[in-house]
Formats: sequence, structure tokens, C-alpha cells
Amino acid sequence: MIQTLRKLWNIHGGLHLDYHKEDSNQSPARDIPLPAELVIPLQQHMGYKPNLTVKAGDYVYKGQELAEHNGFMKVPVHASTSGTITAIEERPIAHPSGLNDLCIILKPDGKDDWGNARMTPYPDHTQVDGEVLRKRICAAGIVGMGGAVFPAAIKLNVHDNIPISALIINGAECEPYITCDDRLMREKPEEIIAGIQIMMHIINTQQCLIGIEDNKPQAVAAMQAAIASSGDTRIQAIPVPTLYPTGGEKQLIKILTGKEVPSGGRPASIGMICHNVATARAIYRAIALGEPLVERYVTVSGSGIAKPCNLNVPVGTPVQHLIEQAGGYTQAVHRLLMGGPMMGITLNNPQIPVVKATNCILVEQPKPVPPAMPCIRCGRCMETCPANLLPQQLYWYSRSREFDKAENLHLFDCIECGCCAYVCPSHIPLVDYYRFAKAEIRTQRDTKRKAEIARDRHEFRLERQERAKREKAEKLAKHREQAQTSTDDGKKAAIQAALERAQAKKAAAQQDNPA
Amino acid sequence: MMFASHSTSTAPLDVSQVMRQVLYALIPGTLLLLWFFGWGLLTNWVLAIGFGLGFEAIMLKWRQRPIQPFLLDYSVIVTAWLLAVALPAYSPWWLMAAAMLFAVVIAKHLYGGLGYNPFNPAMVGYAAMLVSYPLQMTAWPAPLDAGFGQVGFEQTMQLVFGGASPASWDGFSAATALDTVKTDLRTHKPLMDIYAKETFGWLGGRGWEWVNLAWLLGGLWLLRQRIISWHIPAAFLGSLVLIAGMFWIIDPAQYTSPLFHLFSGAAILGAFFIATDPVTASTTPRGKLIYAAGIGLFIYIIRTWGGYPDAVAFSVIIMNMVVPLIDHYTQPRVYGT
Amino acid sequence: MIKLPTFKLEPVNLSRDEFRSLSLEGLWRNNPGLVQLLGLCPLLAVTNNVVNGLGLGLATIIVLLASNVAVSAVRNFIRQEVRIPTFILIIAANVTIIDMLMKAFFHDLYNILGIFIPLIVTNCAVLGRSEAFASKHEPVRAGLDSLMMGIGFMLVLMVLGGMRELVANGTLFSQAHLMFGEAARGWVISFGKDFHGLLLAALPPGAFIGLGLLVAMKNSIDQRLRKPAPKAATVAAAPSATAGEAA
Repeated sequence: MIQTLRKLWNIHGGLHLDYHKEDSNQSPARDIPLPAELVIPLQQHMGYKPNLTVKAGDYVYKGQELAEHNGFMKVPVHASTSGTITAIEERPIAHPSGLNDLCIILKPDGKDDWGNARMTPYPDHTQVDGEVLRKRICAAGIVGMGGAVFPAAIKLNVHDNIPISALIINGAECEPYITCDDRLMREKPEEIIAGIQIMMHIINTQQCLIGIEDNKPQAVAAMQAAIASSGDTRIQAIPVPTLYPTGGEKQLIKILTGKEVPSGGRPASIGMICHNVATARAIYRAIALGEPLVERYVTVSGSGIAKPCNLNVPVGTPVQHLIEQAGGYTQAVHRLLMGGPMMGITLNNPQIPVVKATNCILVEQPKPVPPAMPCIRCGRCMETCPANLLPQQLYWYSRSREFDKAENLHLFDCIECGCCAYVCPSHIPLVDYYRFAKAEIRTQRDTKRKAEIARDRHEFRLERQERAKREKAEKLAKHREQAQTSTDDGKKAAIQAALERAQAKKAAAQQDNPA
Repeated sequence: MMFASHSTSTAPLDVSQVMRQVLYALIPGTLLLLWFFGWGLLTNWVLAIGFGLGFEAIMLKWRQRPIQPFLLDYSVIVTAWLLAVALPAYSPWWLMAAAMLFAVVIAKHLYGGLGYNPFNPAMVGYAAMLVSYPLQMTAWPAPLDAGFGQVGFEQTMQLVFGGASPASWDGFSAATALDTVKTDLRTHKPLMDIYAKETFGWLGGRGWEWVNLAWLLGGLWLLRQRIISWHIPAAFLGSLVLIAGMFWIIDPAQYTSPLFHLFSGAAILGAFFIATDPVTASTTPRGKLIYAAGIGLFIYIIRTWGGYPDAVAFSVIIMNMVVPLIDHYTQPRVYGT
Repeated sequence: MIKLPTFKLEPVNLSRDEFRSLSLEGLWRNNPGLVQLLGLCPLLAVTNNVVNGLGLGLATIIVLLASNVAVSAVRNFIRQEVRIPTFILIIAANVTIIDMLMKAFFHDLYNILGIFIPLIVTNCAVLGRSEAFASKHEPVRAGLDSLMMGIGFMLVLMVLGGMRELVANGTLFSQAHLMFGEAARGWVISFGKDFHGLLLAALPPGAFIGLGLLVAMKNSIDQRLRKPAPKAATVAAAPSATAGEAA
């Protein structure tokens, strides 16, 4: 029995979709045999690339650091199993534009040997300073596992001036097909709760709200049972109405607390911190067991896969390997997505590896894409927009490259959830236009900033040269003046002396000739 | 919000499905008109759709656009259908051709085709014809007097293609209720005497009240299907009833009742089928209310004090003009601002 | 003391090419009615038939020619600060002369064109040429330029007038007798009594729609002439066409 104790708030818009959750959430997540080769991208988080600490040919233990994180917005990566580094090279990664990036290629030796790569566990986190725990979370390579891949340790770094009123744990999992968080909440609720307690200790808050969509009653029940057995009354698991995109951070905060994250701000600015359930579990394992983040639950589902399921997957496993483990394709022709059907990235290559952010591999039957017709301003996009934007106006302005107008209509408050494109009767790929406009605006800003810096530098250089010239000129002038005065003095003195001499002579002559 | 809270998990509609639902909703009223006006409505309908598709195909070809998807989106058929029921039954063929030319070529394609036209194509076609051919455009036969039994097929062909001079129309057509009220009030006849005339029924124009009820039925079905939102019809009819009611209360002998305004002219057709054209209407919720209320207001002003008996076309075009302004000032509050 | 420049006849070396380009400029490339969109007030107001267009067009040509030759002749005597009032004075004088002449010799046409004859003073096309061209060139070039600009303007007036007359009344050259005497009554070309004229064309909206179509037609011809050019050019030309339609 699901208990609803709290008042919930509504978000604007949203969609009811066909969820297909039962396809994959009926059996527990399975461990899979290691693939022949792991491809571990160096950068799996939002921020900057960490610095490599291994080279091709090195033998590494499971959990050993492959790249270190000294510096801002850097997160390390770890070996997902023991084996030999065969290469460090550019490989295709999951990216909207199908780019390549630097990856560490690891050939497993099959022993899955931790060696002594585990970090020292902190069995009782309450005895450890939050700052130390935060450093450990960073060292364990933990990022937001809901898909945002923001470094978890940085998110947990709170400022004293805004006290954190609540920790929000996101178990909504609102996209169709994806059930990895559902399975995790059913199978490892104690680990999630323990992770939450660690986070609450770090950010020093007395309230935690776990939002779970009500189409996952078993997950809600499991979490509530785990909370009850932990005896922690600060934590509440709250079923929220099933509505896409409830799992958006801003949307979930609104639904659970009624508060809105200000435009351009972060949840922390209204005293909230939001983390995914999988992140909470990873934090527990990093602190209590000393294990870095090297594996995660991944849903393999969709109409094109034989046996949809959840798998416990080492980071770096090629997608092809997962598909084989899930029974293979049902059809020769298929479309691969990383993520859900609404926000996922199309994969052009089945060798692309699973990363820390991969929650789902979706295999769809290819559908003929209907040609985009002109916008008829029907406003359906506006009715579904969870951010209450004017999607069709944003589309006009993005299309006509009037980016300043798009920005005035709050383009950057768009969360790219894809509701507008889904309902569009003209089949316009609206989100693509917004991504394009955002990227263009960012580039323009960047160019502008660079130009400003260059101009400042140039001006500074000019000023410096000017000053140098002026100083030189001044110096020269002074020097000349000095020289001038000195010569003048010399002349005057000489004349004076001559006059004096002459006068003296005269005087002497007069004295010689008294009248 | 409305949309979300009721939305089902069925796949979203595409443009042609939306347009097709609008066509279904037009069927009851059109059937009633067919009963009232017989062959005259059928010729209107065939001519409008024929010229509409023809002009659309020519313009698409000329503008080097794909013809098939745009013809199959049904938008031109909606425009044609609206003109077929808006122009008087037994309209001469050239009147329908000119109306469709203005609607499809000038109001739609010269502005860039579907989605880019600032003015409602059907209403531009109607207004251009009303300004140019006032005689033919007000030559409505009385309902049922021109049904299938009364006017034969040959006579219809004569009227539509025979180039019968407008003089021959006089005995045939009867002034509509709105027309009668307008001309008779000028001669200071008391309203009660005017109502006693034959063209008046129990709600508005005789026969027309039934047609309007049928439009209402179709419109409510569109609302239920969530093809249109309640904002535009409600604000349109609400503002018309409000202002008509105000004057009616002040002087019922001089001003007609709100019910008469609703059921005599094209107000209901306009509220559910014309003003709701998404391309030319305001898109924000508050904007829709302002836009539609403006139309209702202008209809009353022009009907009561203007030169034309009905005013849906002019009012819609006037409000189409200010839609960008309305949209700009009625943006909803964005999350987090 | 201000030293006045002496008036002297300037040598004119007008090459064939220059003659061609000046003519083309006024008649087509920089047509005041279709490209500069100047003088829209009379352009839209009096073009409900060909004869009205012709009448106003001729009056405008004469004013343009006379004013701009005069402006060009005195351009070296006029100080920069007062040049606009001076130009206006010259134009106004010419307009007054034309106004009186028309009143005397084409009284019926004068009654129809009415206020638009005196309003030629404020026609931007006239002042525009004085300021942009005549005040910088010697009288021969200024004269040629204004003649061609005037003809270009007149042609637009006539074509627009013809279009509107044809659509609204189904006739061409009606009322020609107002200009050419009673003999011209027979010039009227009519398309039959049964023609259902589109009254809208004779009303102000007809003028706007007609001008929009003319501008679009001109742009589309230009585009076709430029056909070998890359695609980008056609895209760039599109907005001007729509702008024309919107006008």
C-alpha cells in the first residue's frame, strides 16, 4: 500500500506516454560476462579532462585510477576490471554529433582482481568530516548518474550562506522503457538509503525527499520498507504522479516542494540539492566499501531487442556486448539509442561504450520519419512545455537566427525534454533547433569574450607602450634639461668669471693709477 | 495544463488529422444547409473544393513545393469548405472562383503558404468578395424555399453557370434577419414589428437558428476532441453576448437581444471554426482570450453601427492584424522567472 | 566676404555607356515606384485607371525635369545649410506652373487628379532626385536622370492604373477624352458588359495589392535574369519580394 502523506504541486504541461516499463523490469538485474575489450572514455562528466596516469602496456587492477583529478571540474576514471591497457586512442563515443574522443582501451584478464586498489573504507561516516567524504566522492569518480554527469562532489559543496533545507533524491525515472533505477530501488534500497544518509551528513540537512513516479509501486514499497528498517525519520519516499518529465530536476523540485529553481540558477540557490538514486548508491559504495564507480545498472530494451532486461555493466563495455547479452536484435534493421526515446542520443556505431551516464540502451524498429511540415502555430507545444515556454516562437527565432529574441524568450530555460517535438503535428524537430540556437549563442558569447580579452590585452599593450614611450620621453627630456642647465650654468659661470676678472683688472688698474 | 491533465497515451495528431477532424465537425451544419438550399449548396461545395485544390496545386507547383503532402494536409479543403457555406447558395461560379483565388493565392501563398499567412484565408476571400460584389454576396435565398424540391438541377446550372444577371436574383433571394433588422431600424420601425416578419424564427433568422445549433454541435465536438481549446469560442461568444446584453438591457426596443446576435449570423461558425484557425490566431492562453473578445466586440460594433449586416470576416481580419502584438504582451510566466 | 562662384557652361562628355546606364537606372534598376518605393501617396491614390496614371505621370515628369535642371544649374550657388528649402522652393514654383497650366487646358482631368497635382511638391521622388543626383551633377546629366526617373515613375503609374482598371471595370483607356479631346472617346477598350468587375481593385486595397504584385514581378524577373548566380542570391532576394507584397 502506497502512502501519500504530503501535498504535491503541479508542473505546467507534461505528457502521458506509453511507458513499456514491464518489458524490462520483471527480472532482477544480471551480472554479465566481461567483454573482450573495455573502452573507457577519459571524460565521462561535465567539466575538463582529467590527467592520464597510465600508459599503453600497463597492467591495472580493478578500481585502479586511470586518470587523476587534480583541478577544478575534473573527475577521475577507474579501471572497470583488471587487465592490460592495450592502447590509449580516439574512439567513437556517445555524442549527439557522433564525435570521437580519447579512450583508454583495457583488455580484461578475466580475474576481475581488485588487488589493493580499493580505497580505505569509512565504515562510520558520521565520524568523518564532510570535506573528507566529499574528496573521497570525487576520488571515486562519481558523477550524476541520471544523465547530467555533473561531478557529484561539486554539487555537494554547499555554501554556508544558503542552508540546505532538503535533499531531493530523484527516483522518478520518467522516460519510457528505462527501468534501471526501478530495479536498483527494488534490489538495493538499503544501499541507496545509506548513501542518502552520507549525503545528508555532508550537506548538513535534516530532510530528504525521494520522488518516485507512481507507476513503480514495488520500488516505492521497497524504499519505504528500507527507510522504516533504518529508523531514519528524516527520509521520506514519496510517490509522485506519473507524467513526463517529472524526472527533470527542476520539475521534481517543484512537484515535491512547490519551489521553483530561479531562471539561470541552481537548486542550491533555493536551498535544495538533487541527486539520482544510482548516485546515492555509488556514494554509499565509495564511502562504506572504498569502491570507485566502475559499474552501473543499464536497461536494454525496446521493440528491436529479443529479451529486454536490466544488466549490471562495467563502465566501458561496448553496447554490442550488452545487446548480445539481451538476446540480440529481433530485426536486421534497427535504430540504437543511448538513453530514453525522448532525450536519448542516436548511436551510429554499436561499438560505442557504456559510460557512467548510460541508463539505457534502446533498440527501436526504424520508423519512417515523416517530413517536417510548416508550423501552423497550433500551440500544442506550448501546452505541453514543462517550463511554460513558447516553443513555436523559440522555433521561429532559432530558425531565422534571431538569437537575441530567442534568449529574451528564455531559450536557456529549455530543458530539452522533447515534449514539444513529440506533440508537434507538423513533425518539426524542435529540440534540434533549440540545441542549435543554444550552441550558436554560446559560441557567439565565447567569441565575444575572447575578443574582449584580446581587446583588453591590446589596449593594455598599447597603454604600456605608450607609457614606456612617455617615460622614455620624459626621461630624455629631463636628461636634456639637465644637460641644458648644466651647460648654461657653465657658460654663465665662465662669463661671470671673465667679467669678474675684467673688473678685478680694472679695479687693480684704478688702484694702480690713483687720480 | 488542460491538455496535460486529460491527455491520453495515444500517438499525437499530425496536421492532416487535425484538419480532418475539423471537416468532420463541419458535417452536421453542412447537411442542414444542404436540406435548406439543395443544389445551390452542392454546387457551392463542389466549386469551392475544386477551385481550392486547383489553385493550391498551381501555386505549389509554381513555388516548387512538394504538391502531394500539402494537398493532403486538408488545410485548403477546410478553407474551401468554409467559403462554400459562407457564400450564398447558388453563387455564380466566377464568384466562387474569385473568392478562392483571393483565399488561396493572395491570402495564403503570396505570404508563404501554410503556416505563414497572417490573415485567415477564407475570411480574406469572403471580405474581398463582399466589398467587390455586395449584391451577389447578400443574395441568400430563404431557407427551404430553394431546397431540392423547389429549384431543379437545370435551373441551378442556369443560375450558377448561365450568367444570369443580378436582376433575376431579386425575386429569388430574401433579406436575411440581420439585413432586415439593419434596414428597418434605419426607418425607425419598432423592433417588435420587425420581429413579426417572416424571416425571423424562434431564436434568430428562421431556419438559420437550426444551422447555428448544428455548428455549435460540431464546435462542441471539436472542443471535446481537444482540437480547439475553449479560450477562443468562449471569449468570442462571451464578449458578443456581454456587449449585446448591455445595450439590450438599456433599450430593448432599439437593440436586438444577445440570443438574436448569437443565432442569426455567422457568429457561432466564426467562434468555433474561423477564429480558431491556429495559424492566424493568438497562441498564448491570455492572448487567445483577448484576440477572441476583440472579434466579438468588433462584430457587435459593425453589425450595430457599421455599413454591413454581418461582420465576422472583417472582425477576424482586424484582430488577425494585432495578433503579433497580443502574443508579445501575453507571454506566460516561464518556470523559474 | 563670400566669394560667389562664377556661372559658366560646363563641358559635357556623356558617353554612350553612361547614357545607357543612366536610362536603365531610372527605368528599371532604381525605379522610383518599384524599387525606391517613393511617391507612394499619389502612386496609390490616382492609379484607378490608365489615363489618370498617365496624367499624373506626365505632370510629374515635367516637374522633375524642370526642377532638377534648375537645381543642377544653381547648385554651385547654394550653401549646404539651405539647400533643402531652396530645392523645395524651386519644385514648388514648377508645380504651381503645372497646376495652373492643367487647370487651364485639361480642366476635367485636373478635377479628377485634384489635390494630387499640388502634392507633387511633397513627392519624395522629386526631392530625392534633387538631393541625390541633380545637386551633384551638371544640368545635362541631371536632366537625363530626371527624365528617365520620371518616365519610370509614369510607366509604373500607367501599368498599375491599367491593371486596376482592367480588373475593376473591364476596360482600358476609359476617360481618354479628358486628355486627348473628344476624338479619344473611341479609344476605350472594353471587355464586354457582362464583365463582373472586382470593385476591390478600384478601392485602396486594390492599389496596395497591385503594387505588391508589380514589385514581386520585377524582383522575380531580376532573379530570372540573374539565374546563373549561386543559390544564395535567390534566397537573399526572397525577403525583398515579401516586403513588397506586405507593402
